Amino acid sequence: MNTLIRNRFGTDEIEVKRDDLSKVTVVKYRVFELIHLLVEQYGYTTLNAITCADWIEEGHFAITYMLTTRARRHTFMVQTMIGREEAKIDSLTMLFPQAEIMERDLHEMYGIDFPGNGNLVELSLENWVHTPPLRREFDTLAFVNELHDFREGRDDNLDVKAEMKRLRALKKAAKEAAAKKEALKTEEKEEASQPSAAQKESGHGK
Amino acid sequence: MKWKVDIGGTLSPIGILGAFFEKPNTIAYPAVKKETARSYRGFHTNTLDDCIGCANCQDVCMNDAIDMIKVDKEYNPKNSSQCIPRIDYGRCCWCSLCTDVCPPSSLKLEEEYLGITKYATDFLYMPKNK
Amino acid sequence: MANRHITIFHGPQHPGITGNMSIELDLLGETILKATTHVGYLHRGFEKLIERRTVIQAFTIVCRICVPEPDPNEVNFAMAVEELAGIEVSQRAKYIRVMMLELSRLAAQFLWMAGQSGSIGLYAVGQWAIADRDLILDLFEELTGGRVYHMYVYPGGVRRDLPEGFLGRVEKVLEHLKTRLKLYDDIFIYNASFRQRAEGVGVIDAEEAVKNGYVGQVLRACGIEADVRKDAPYLVYDELEFDIPTEQAGDVYARALVRRAEMDQSIRILEQVIEKMPEGEIMAKLPTHRKFKLPKDDTWVKVESARGEFAYYMAGDGSENIRRMQVRGPSLVHAYTLLENLLVGAELSDVALIMNSLGICPPEIER
Repeated sequence: MNTLIRNRFGTDEIEVKRDDLSKVTVVKYRVFELIHLLVEQYGYTTLNAITCADWIEEGHFAITYMLTTRARRHTFMVQTMIGREEAKIDSLTMLFPQAEIMERDLHEMYGIDFPGNGNLVELSLENWVHTPPLRREFDTLAFVNELHDFREGRDDNLDVKAEMKRLRALKKAAKEAAAKKEALKTEEKEEASQPSAAQKESGHGK
Repeated sequence: MKWKVDIGGTLSPIGILGAFFEKPNTIAYPAVKKETARSYRGFHTNTLDDCIGCANCQDVCMNDAIDMIKVDKEYNPKNSSQCIPRIDYGRCCWCSLCTDVCPPSSLKLEEEYLGITKYATDFLYMPKNK
Repeated sequence: MANRHITIFHGPQHPGITGNMSIELDLLGETILKATTHVGYLHRGFEKLIERRTVIQAFTIVCRICVPEPDPNEVNFAMAVEELAGIEVSQRAKYIRVMMLELSRLAAQFLWMAGQSGSIGLYAVGQWAIADRDLILDLFEELTGGRVYHMYVYPGGVRRDLPEGFLGRVEKVLEHLKTRLKLYDDIFIYNASFRQRAEGVGVIDAEEAVKNGYVGQVLRACGIEADVRKDAPYLVYDELEFDIPTEQAGDVYARALVRRAEMDQSIRILEQVIEKMPEGEIMAKLPTHRKFKLPKDDTWVKVESARGEFAYYMAGDGSENIRRMQVRGPSLVHAYTLLENLLVGAELSDVALIMNSLGICPPEIER
């Protein structure tokens, strides 16, 4: 099976992750041919899931189809990359009816279009007009800061590293000041003993 | 639905009447309180004599619920920042990651879990000094 | 005759404990012509929350994805992280994880009994089932510190060791539950009125079930022996002895019988685990949380929960955050593809009965 898929679809080596899991990556326009081959000839009768990961730095989404054998002993991950602008890939609903709900979920969360799926309406979000939320460019912290106020009373939070530095500097300054004072005191003591000697001399002189 | 004769299935549920003679599962709260296990994750306690103000708890808290605030008197001379943690109970999820990473093990969770207040500012909870 | 064709909203509250989702029904008299499922009451955005948290911070929120049975989520997350990062787990930790999963499965099956009996009006059994489940929750409270959300199965092992005498207390609870289950048999499972209502309702075809990706008791009640614990064993299930119960009829009553038989098998597994529990370490050494990096790779792990096969897709990207974690719970396909087809032609009073028997849990559909 390995050599047949490699030769016919021009893919890399099939990656064997575990006893019951293998993965292969194909180009977008040959995905359905490969899925048909796995279903008809190798007995991968069930579609378990369609997943998507956003690789924004490389400019594509990685869509993976999980196919399982009839005895549920082996799972095959068929992965393909689609562009992030104008993200589109044909729907699998004709072959597997459960693909309809899986594609509806990805459409809402990533904004991917699945031509052929007639039911791409909203699922969990209501009246959502901003960027599809699971895309990496959607910043949840900025979004929340814009719309909501945070709880008051937390302004006395201090940066611990800065406090440690400040206290250490204070301690150092206090130590230096104390040392200076000590030095001054001993100087004064010596001076105090000096004039008495001079007085004694002058007293004698008088 | 056709009627199928099922004598056993019709008579056996009468055994439910035996429940009249059993002890009830409910307890007379608040006269009788249920015992909580010592390891239950309740409110926070912090032994201020041991706390060194390192802010490991603030770093690991996954909801940004911990503030480090200035301490009112010097409990521990080894506390290099003289700051102690205060927890926002509107954000805390009681996962106790903060107690796992505390180096002197001064931050702990006790088994008390009931707190009733009229004011939202009481959610900024200062752990008890134990 | 004028008002026989109406549309109603079988709202987020249902008889029995199903969860918060609603079905829009087109009715002709009492027969259903078309059903549309609506979810969205419980969307909390977990998959986006994970992106801004490190691996150890993310483990604390994963358990909240499924409300009746949180443990398969924790075990799935831990297994995926361990596979990506290459961490070994000790034998004792694996046995403790199996014990947690089976106790959680028992608690979820009791909750199912509460829901199914409530949907036909037999609320007494429902109250008893919740009280018996409470004993299992007391065990969880003692071991992990939380009754429902445990946050206990850590990537690398488990968080705390078993307290003194814990295994003895588990055995006592199991003995008590065995006597109680005989009572449930007489009053609920073999009750003539439950049989009248449940036999022949909600019949599913076996071939369609395999192709469409249905999982769990839906498959086993059609005669197909499918269970992740036997097909692709994980943790220490290949060292334990247990059977997979099946039935042939494919209706609501067959699914109830399968679930009742699975509770006996869970007790059998737990007794073996208590006997075989080894000594040893419970936790592998991990780097501090800001230095724990996952390599650039992806994986797919699965676990058998009380309702079927629960699977996670996880992708790392070389930093300390997780790039993507997608949850594929058993209910996504059951609530849409299966339910909308099964309800056509059914009676209005059977809607709650069918929903409970399919084991639909809305929190995991919309995360």
